[in-house]
Amino acid sequence: MTLIELGLYFALLSLLTFGGLSSVIPEMQRYIVDVKGWTTAAEFMHLFAVAQAAPGPNVLFTSLIGYRVAGIAGSLVALLGLCAPAAALTWVVSTLWERVGDSPWRTIIRRALAPLVVGLTFAGGYIIATPHTPDWRLWLIALATAAGVLRTRVNPLWLLAGGAVLGGLLL
Amino acid sequence: MAVTPVDQHDSTPRVGTPPHTLGELFLGFLSIGARSFGGVLPSAHYVMVEQRHWLTPEEFTETIGLCQVLPGPNIGNAAILLGKRWLGLRGAVVAFLGLFALPYLWVLTLALLYTRWAARPLVSAVVTGVGASGAGLFMATAVKLGRPIARKPAAVVLMAGCFVAVAIGRVSLLVVMPIAVIVGLYFSRRNML
Repeated sequence: MTLIELGLYFALLSLLTFGGLSSVIPEMQRYIVDVKGWTTAAEFMHLFAVAQAAPGPNVLFTSLIGYRVAGIAGSLVALLGLCAPAAALTWVVSTLWERVGDSPWRTIIRRALAPLVVGLTFAGGYIIATPHTPDWRLWLIALATAAGVLRTRVNPLWLLAGGAVLGGLLL
Repeated sequence: MAVTPVDQHDSTPRVGTPPHTLGELFLGFLSIGARSFGGVLPSAHYVMVEQRHWLTPEEFTETIGLCQVLPGPNIGNAAILLGKRWLGLRGAVVAFLGLFALPYLWVLTLALLYTRWAARPLVSAVVTGVGASGAGLFMATAVKLGRPIARKPAAVVLMAGCFVAVAIGRVSLLVVMPIAVIVGLYFSRRNML
């Protein structure tokens, strides 16, 4: 039953993941931690951290949630659930696209989505950095990393390593 | 990422030369997945444009641009779109599997190690630090994407509305997203975004 629930939930989320995984993180956390109690808020954050240390699209985080909830089968169901509906939509749209060519609607849609993606991506960062009540140490690490991305050209992997060191020292 | 010299006879190709076999396609996407530490977009560009010349830089930008208006992982969608264009349904499936195979095994291995050591306070502190750092990556992405539209009042209202509803109010995205999309399209059609 859990497997079916997991698959259906991620399939539903799939069609909302504009701008990537970050925009659905708050919703995932709400459902998995608050509604279902499948993980604690701290564990949710830890699994997110583990996914950050892996290569590949960051939607792989869903496979860790699935793994935690229902083992290897859960990891595959969650990942496929999150990817399959979006992939099917891409298939259909790309067929139309190569037939119709460019259209003003693409610009309209892109502009309409941009503010949503910004607001939701920031919400994703906020939720991850605030698993319980706000903790200045977590926010310090988050803001230092953000500054590193915005002010330097260093590979984000080094910034994550910096976060690991700061975490070990401060927490 | 280090820039490696490309073939001398092939400095500015006008159209890409797509992979001919499923094997070639699979290995290309396997390589994208394997080298994508710290971001999958740069490695996709490196493998498909600079190394294998499957796409020109313009074709790459065009493809990613289309994938960005669709839901789902951008590069995952690109794997479907390009695999399909080059080798049909089997191409789409093979490209997608190639992209995810190695990162999936890697992340699962990390999760096993984490489960084994999570009880140690130092491990927990380090992992929490990485999580906070990952949150910072999202914040930086939001700032980068937000800068060009931060002067438009309608955009600011939408950004703030989405953030407050979802992060502070904890309203379900299943409610917020449809409303925000409708409002966004309304503003966008009137050139307010």
